[in-house]
Amino acid sequence: MELRASRIPGVISLAQGVPSFDTPDAIKNAAIEAIQKGKVAKYSLAPGTLEFRETIAQHLERENKFFDFENEIIATAGSIEAITATLLAILEPGDEVLIPDPTYTSYQPAIKVARGVPVFVSLDEENHWALDIEKFEKLITPRTKAFLFCNPNNPTGTVFSRNQLHALAQLAIKHNLYIMSDEVYKDFVYFENQGSTFPLSDKSSNSSRSNLQLYSLAELRGIRDRLIYIFSFSKAYAMTGWRIAFLATHQELAKKILAVHDALVTCAPVVSQYAGMAALELANEDVLRFKEYFQKRRDFTCKRLDKLNHVFKYQKPNSSYFVFPRIKEEMLRKIAPNGGSRQFAIELLKKAKVATVPGSAFGPSGENHVRMCFGRSEEDINTAFDRMEKFFNEQGTKINNQ
Amino acid sequence: MKNLFKKIIQYYLKLLTRLILWRHKPYIIAVSGSTNKTTVKDYILKFLREKYGEKEVRGNPKSYNTEIGLPLAILYLDSGESSAVKWLKVLLQAKMRALFGRKFPKKLVLELGVEERGDMKPLLEMVRPNVAIITNIEGSYTYSNSSLEQIFGEMKLLTESVPEDGYILLSSDDERVKSLAKFAKAKVITYGFGEEADARAEDFRADAHGQTFNFVFQDKKEAVRIKKYGRHFILAWMAAKVTKSII
Repeated sequence: MELRASRIPGVISLAQGVPSFDTPDAIKNAAIEAIQKGKVAKYSLAPGTLEFRETIAQHLERENKFFDFENEIIATAGSIEAITATLLAILEPGDEVLIPDPTYTSYQPAIKVARGVPVFVSLDEENHWALDIEKFEKLITPRTKAFLFCNPNNPTGTVFSRNQLHALAQLAIKHNLYIMSDEVYKDFVYFENQGSTFPLSDKSSNSSRSNLQLYSLAELRGIRDRLIYIFSFSKAYAMTGWRIAFLATHQELAKKILAVHDALVTCAPVVSQYAGMAALELANEDVLRFKEYFQKRRDFTCKRLDKLNHVFKYQKPNSSYFVFPRIKEEMLRKIAPNGGSRQFAIELLKKAKVATVPGSAFGPSGENHVRMCFGRSEEDINTAFDRMEKFFNEQGTKINNQ
Repeated sequence: MKNLFKKIIQYYLKLLTRLILWRHKPYIIAVSGSTNKTTVKDYILKFLREKYGEKEVRGNPKSYNTEIGLPLAILYLDSGESSAVKWLKVLLQAKMRALFGRKFPKKLVLELGVEERGDMKPLLEMVRPNVAIITNIEGSYTYSNSSLEQIFGEMKLLTESVPEDGYILLSSDDERVKSLAKFAKAKVITYGFGEEADARAEDFRADAHGQTFNFVFQDKKEAVRIKKYGRHFILAWMAAKVTKSII
C-alpha cells in the first residue's frame, strides 16, 4: 500500500509504522564521534561489540530482565533479522509457529523463509484483542515449535496481561515450545488511572496497578531456556533507518542463533551499534517526549474517529502508535462492495488520498479493519481525517458531529 | 571554537579536581579494563557501604569515567552537555566545591574509561589510586590484536601508578591482565576461576535462579549465590569481596 501511495502525488500516509521524529541529537552525535574516531569501519564481533552488549544487559537489568552480555545477547540488523535468524535456527521444514491474528505482517514471510508454517490464532476482539489461551492450546500439534508475538501488539495496540502471558508460558513448558516475544513498542504504553483503555480482562479481575504495567515474559526466570526476547531501537528512538536491534536468550540457544546471524549479516552495522549504545545511555528523556506526543496524537486521532462513528467502530489502543478500527458493514458494502478491507483501503487512497493498511494484511481476523498510524505529525493526521470526512460525506453519508 | 571551549573546560575541571582531592585526600579505588567496570564498581560500593556507611563511599554516577566525566564524578556534578551556559555554571559550582566544600567521602570508587592510546595519562594526572582493579583486556572487533596491545600499554601505566603500600587486583582469567603483575610496585592479588588465582571461584553452577559458587580466599571458603547470569558477575563479586577484605 505504501508503494502504491508513493505513486500518487499529495497522499497523506497513515500506513507505514514510522515515527515522525528524527533520531535524537545525542544519538547522532555519538555515531558521528564513533565514525570520526575510526571505530566503525571494521566488523565487530558477530554478536556485537562488548560495550554495546554490556550496556544492553545493564539496561535490561533495570527492567528486571537478566541476561549474560557475553553469551546471551546478540545485536542484530533490526528486529526482523533477530526473528528470522531465530526461526532459521529453531525450525525444521514444516514446523508450525503460532502467531496471533491479527499481528505484524512480516511474521508470516519470516516463518516461510525458515520453511515453517504460520498458524494464526485469532485474538478476542470483544476483549480488546486479548490472547485466547484455549484457542492457542487447541491449535498446538506435534509440529508446533514456537509462539511468536509482539507485545504490545501491532496492529491492535493491545498490551497482553500478565495472567495471559503466564498462561502462555505454562503452555510452552507443557508442550516444549519456544516463545519469541517481540517488544518493539514496549516504551509506548499509555496507562491511565481509569477509563476504558485497559484490557477488559484486567478490568474485570480488579487487578492492581502493577498488574496493568507492561509485563514481559523475559522477567520470568522459569522459562529463560525457551524464551527469546527481541527489542528494536527503530520505534522507541526513531531509528528505523539505522537497522539496529538485539535479542536476548539462554546461551545454548544463543549459540545456535549466532551461527545463523553470522551467516546472514556477519554483524549488525557497527555505527548503529554505537548509536544504539548512546540511545540506551543518553536518550531516555527523548523516549518519554516521544511517548507524550504519541499519547496526545492517539487522543486526537480517537476524537477524529469518534466523528466518523458511522464509518468506523474502534477500541482505544493502550500502546504503540496504531489504531485498528473495524469498518462498519454498511459502509464497507458501499465503498468496497466485493473487495473487503483491501478494496476499501485502495478506494480511500485513490479518492481521499489517504493511505492506510488493509486489516487483511495482518491475518484473517484483521479483515474488515484498517490500520491507521498516529505516529505521524498532528498536521498530517488532521489533514488525513479532513479528507476522509469529505470522502465519506461524498459517499452520501452524514458526519455525526456529536 | 568548540574544541577550544572543550579544552578550557577540561583544563579547569582537572585543576579543580586535583585541588579537591588534595584537600580531602580520599582513599581511591580505581576500576579499569575493557568491560565489567560498572558491575565491579557497583559491587565494591555495595560492600564498602555495608562496612563504612552510605555517605563515606562514593562512585562515578552514570558513565562518568573519561577525561571530562571523571572530574564530574569526583566533584559530584552533572554534565553541561552541549550548552555553554550550563558548562559555565558547572565550572562555578566546581570552583565552590573545590575551594570551600567541607563534606567529602573518605573513599572513592572510580571507573577509569580507556578506549585508546593516551586515555589513561590524563586520568592519572588527576587521581593516584590506592587500589587498582583491572578486569580484562578484550576486543570488540575481529582481528583487533594491535588495539589490544595499546590498551595493555594503558593498563601498564595504571599498574605502575599504584604505590608500594597499595594493591593491584588482576583477573587471572585474562592472560594479558595477568601479565601486568610484573610491572607492579604494589602488592598483587589475582582473582578468577583458575586454580592459580589467589581468590577463586570453585564449583560454579547456573540454574533458573542464577549462579552459585564457592569463593575461596585466604584459606576460607564461602558459598555464594548470585541471582544474575554470566561469569562476569562472579568475577566482579570476587574483585569487590577482595577489595573489602584488604582495606
